[in-house]
Amino acid sequence: MELWVLFGTFSLLLLIGVPVAFCLGIASVATVVYMGLPPVVVFQQMNSGMNAFAMMAIPFFIYAGDLMIRGGIAERLIQMAASLVGHLRGGLGQVNVVTCTLFGGISGSAVADASAVGGLMIPQMKKRGYDADYAVNVTANAAIIALLIPPSHNMIIYSLSAGGNLSIADLFTAGVIPGLLLCAALMFAAWAVAVKRGYPREPFPGLAAVGRYVVLALPGILLIGIIFGGVRSGVFTATESSCVAVVYAILVTILVYRQLTWTAFVEATLGAVRTTAMVLLVIGAAGAFGWLMAFLQVPQATIAAMKAVSDNPIVILLMVNIILLVLGTFMDMAPMIIICTPIFLPVVKAFGVDPIHFGVILILNAGIGLNTPPVGSVQFVACAIGRISIGESMRTIWPFYGASVAVLLLVTYVPGISLWLPRLFH
Amino acid sequence: MHAFTALLTRLGAKLSLYALFTAGAGLVLMTVMVAWGVFGRYVLNDTPIWVEAGSLFLMSWFILLGAAVGVRESDHLGFEVGLAMSPPPLRSALILIGEGLVCAFGIAMLVYGSQLAAGTWSDRMPIIGISRGWDYVPIAAGGALIALFALEKMLLFVTGEKQAPLGFGHFGSEQEV
Repeated sequence: MELWVLFGTFSLLLLIGVPVAFCLGIASVATVVYMGLPPVVVFQQMNSGMNAFAMMAIPFFIYAGDLMIRGGIAERLIQMAASLVGHLRGGLGQVNVVTCTLFGGISGSAVADASAVGGLMIPQMKKRGYDADYAVNVTANAAIIALLIPPSHNMIIYSLSAGGNLSIADLFTAGVIPGLLLCAALMFAAWAVAVKRGYPREPFPGLAAVGRYVVLALPGILLIGIIFGGVRSGVFTATESSCVAVVYAILVTILVYRQLTWTAFVEATLGAVRTTAMVLLVIGAAGAFGWLMAFLQVPQATIAAMKAVSDNPIVILLMVNIILLVLGTFMDMAPMIIICTPIFLPVVKAFGVDPIHFGVILILNAGIGLNTPPVGSVQFVACAIGRISIGESMRTIWPFYGASVAVLLLVTYVPGISLWLPRLFH
Repeated sequence: MHAFTALLTRLGAKLSLYALFTAGAGLVLMTVMVAWGVFGRYVLNDTPIWVEAGSLFLMSWFILLGAAVGVRESDHLGFEVGLAMSPPPLRSALILIGEGLVCAFGIAMLVYGSQLAAGTWSDRMPIIGISRGWDYVPIAAGGALIALFALEKMLLFVTGEKQAPLGFGHFGSEQEV
């Protein structure tokens, strides 16, 4: 009965539009009161949930990304990508995918990718004769790559949701090959659609121009190296590397790019507060909710229910993927990771799946969900920039969904894609 | 009623602005502290031990003040499909119930956060040496602001004035992160 109170209250509140953080908190209080425990325990758990040093990396990464965006990194990455892949068929589509991949290494956020890269690329693509739906769908799908390429703060949310014991360095490393694979798959989809629609190539600007654009973008790209190298080598913790990223972003945008104004700095700071405080509150409230789920043995019950259906790991992973894809259509990224990790991680572990591998599967699933209505925040941003409806985007998005789902299946059933690189570093 | 709502709106606007800037200052200070920790370890060869405890303390304020501002600005992550699909009279009732629940949870944070702070006030936090009770003050303060902002939104909704955004954020929130 306690489980019904916990999940019933949570679902009901979610359905009537109460914010996720409060759904988690109120459902926990209701359950604790039903069980005859003092409600103060919920707030104690909530406080503990907000007291992890690793959590600080989330606002720092968002802050660093926002500073780099306002400091002019996106334009330089686009110039560099255009010089590298613009001469392929459907050149600007390819440029879009490559820029999103590089930019993902700086922002770590799919929405930031879609708005920063899409804001520059979509109008330009439309002006050069590309259809708006193509420009929107390439941007929205390529933005998902940011979730896999380090530094992905969603990997940190996953690590925290898994109890904080998973190595963030391993999670960052595990996302690299799946991220590059998704980049290649989306470039292929963009190329195939471009050939079908007869989109042009851009002229190759010559090796000297390529070199010049690479040099201009280098300070931004170096940030990826500092973060990844710092965490991987153990020089910094994830939190320290994210803080170094903020300091580096401030220095580069003021001293090298000379584009960061005081107003932009204040806006970036307040923007980081607005974006991350809500997510961190969800993590805190999930501390109480997760404690109750463990107390009420929810993971054990889920394992038993899954085992009743099948004991084949391939079937179980397929089931988990389908559940996550469905949940992703109406849940935002962070709440989905925070709520699903304590439920599904013990299940897949019971079937021999590595927690690092599952992290990549979960994040890719949740990422695809960001491009699916009714709640597809990345798709909404891209559609708003391209001035087309969700319906128009949905009519021609299928080749890109196909590419993303193909990569998801590969990542799910070939663990080496995620685990080979982290093992290499060990 | 209208006069009280107007007063509450003015108070809410000021408090929200102060909370937002305090949280922003907290983020900058957290950056400085953690960066100082790295600088101390690698350059001064003397790791400052207060960095982790101090920045964690700041983070609690950052989260709870920022989250309270999110309540007033309807920026919280939510699932509004149920609301959007409801007929208008039911939608209004649901919005009021939802805001009422957020307000009640804010009050509970204030009450239980204060209780926890009072119960641990005589203990000292190791390293930074302040009372352990301070650890729970952000929950109480954030709860008070959350309750106030939710009450303001309820009153604006009831009186038909729409100065503050209503509902729980955008349909299909953009707050992915």
